Amino acid sequence: MKQRPWLFLLPALLLVSISAFIPLIAVMNYSQLTLLPGTQPYFSGLENFVAILNDEAFRGALYRQCIFSFLVLITEIPLGLGLALCMPKEGPGVGVSLVLLGIPLLIPWNVVGIIWRVFTRSDIGVLPAAFNWFGYSYSVSSSTIDAWWTVLAMDIWHWTPLVVLICYAGLQAIPEEYYMAAKIDRASPWKTFRYVTLPNLRGVLIIAVLLRLMDSFKIYAEPFVLTGGGPGSSTTFLSTYTSRMAIGGFQMGRGAATSLIYFFIVILLSFVIYIVMLNLGQGAGGDK
Amino acid sequence: MAEIEIRDIRHVYDQGTADETVAVDNVNLTLRDGTANALLGPSGCGKTTLLQIISGLLEPTEGQVLIDGEDVTDQQPAERDIAQVFQFPVIYDSMDVYGNLAFPLRNGGMAEDEIEERVHVIAELLELEDILHSSPANLGPELNQLVALGRGIIRADTSAILFDEPMTDVEPARKLTIRRRVKEAQQEFGITALYVTHDQHEALTFAEQVAIMRDGHLVQYDTGENLYANPVNTFIGHFIGSPGMNLIECGVTEQDGTPHAQVGPHTVSVSETIHPEIDLSWTDCKIGIRPSSVTVQVADPKEDTGYIPAIVDQVEMVGGYQIITAELENTDVEVKARVAHDFMIDEDASIWLHFPPEDVQFFHEDQAIRAG
Repeated sequence: MKQRPWLFLLPALLLVSISAFIPLIAVMNYSQLTLLPGTQPYFSGLENFVAILNDEAFRGALYRQCIFSFLVLITEIPLGLGLALCMPKEGPGVGVSLVLLGIPLLIPWNVVGIIWRVFTRSDIGVLPAAFNWFGYSYSVSSSTIDAWWTVLAMDIWHWTPLVVLICYAGLQAIPEEYYMAAKIDRASPWKTFRYVTLPNLRGVLIIAVLLRLMDSFKIYAEPFVLTGGGPGSSTTFLSTYTSRMAIGGFQMGRGAATSLIYFFIVILLSFVIYIVMLNLGQGAGGDK
Repeated sequence: MAEIEIRDIRHVYDQGTADETVAVDNVNLTLRDGTANALLGPSGCGKTTLLQIISGLLEPTEGQVLIDGEDVTDQQPAERDIAQVFQFPVIYDSMDVYGNLAFPLRNGGMAEDEIEERVHVIAELLELEDILHSSPANLGPELNQLVALGRGIIRADTSAILFDEPMTDVEPARKLTIRRRVKEAQQEFGITALYVTHDQHEALTFAEQVAIMRDGHLVQYDTGENLYANPVNTFIGHFIGSPGMNLIECGVTEQDGTPHAQVGPHTVSVSETIHPEIDLSWTDCKIGIRPSSVTVQVADPKEDTGYIPAIVDQVEMVGGYQIITAELENTDVEVKARVAHDFMIDEDASIWLHFPPEDVQFFHEDQAIRAG
């Protein structure tokens, strides 16, 4: 009975196919149809894809999305790793820090958006009041720069704790002997970090980077609540664009095509980053 | 190279808390310059703690560590010039073998051309030349452990190297080769070495002198030969040798004006040299005899009173010889004897055992009684 293991996998495979494969296939189908309200759907081949790829709004959203995800990664990963390194290794401090870090993660996305919206309201918000006190007129609804960094800060506040937790778990798993050996080998703190901590965290860092990449690519509720994608379209990211296309614009076919393009971009980026990180500095000669 | 001396070392974990444990207590030990030593003992006896105190990874609660007479107790591992090889291979796997070997030298600021020369010397000694530019991830634990060893001995100023059960991850079949290379490296550089293990075979083959620890105390520090022949107490007697020494509870009686050991109805002669040391009023005595020293006779020796009748309980073939377990007549004392592989004997057979007096050890309150 060589097939037996597959029997055990069957329920999981069934669930995954219902929740993922079938919708994906349906989306593939829709993406090649012209679906307008009040008319019969008809097959239009790759027309939807061509139209989207030529759409300035799509390109703008993709461009902003890439910059946003890039900024998220280069701030959240080092910040999360740094915080994890600062966390206590034992004692009552561990529980306290874990609970504090867990709080942002427990808050639903749209609530995070609402919290930050209250923060940034021009009448009662803390942020505008604080900036006005310093003589800077802060406004999420009229300044692109303010809107951008506020969305970014919100994401960092919301998701850096996840990176911290992942890195903290990874750090705890590094055997003490590595640090002992580094001491005996007279490695400086930087070299210990470079040759002991970082390589041993490779696995968890890959996971943290991929999770944050994929999640930041999917960001929707928070900017939607905070800025509504504005001012103008300055904080309109791919998901906002897609939902506007499909639901606001009643163009289901285009929406489906956008989702597919979106999906492949995320997979491609994740794959590239995974491969690059997996082979980064593996077995090299070492710094002279 | 260096002489390492530890004085009155005591180490307590979690001092002042409910979990307080004394890991090492009152240990004094001097490892002579350039010698290979082993630290042997059952798991949890404080071996690793002692090792880390010597390497400087752990500061002892009390006592001093001296290297060549200089007190280094307060020094960091890096200042002590002591290398340590851990239980599993500790390898910097983002560097190749060359990078790993060069790492301590680079940290010491050595010039690259000197480093290269030194790396090749070590690689040649440990037979690692062919894999210098391989990634450690692709090598087995044996080779990685050799790389870790190489990293330990590559610094010309390494005064001692400590091994913490380094063969744990190594396949049994490869242990011998690896141990040979380790030993060669130790001899080549004349490095003072201390090899921690719970495997007496490893300890005895590696080291000239073996220190045996139990419950945080150093029990005996001696050559393998002496540990086997003259254990200081019953623990060493039983711990060294496979199977260990037979330890038989006995009383003391006088016969023909000299003290003898009394085991149930049987009388056992002990070496004349220790007669003056034995007190007839003693209780809690044991005699010890190695299974290899027990003489086994199948035919009834009749008049010869030196023999004790026994019934064979079990016969085990152990490679080139057999181990007989027999119960002494009218007692519940079991004795193991080692006989040749072709010795014909059945279970439940009657045999006669003789304990040559010169091979019988006498213990009072578990301490060996010695002449003089």
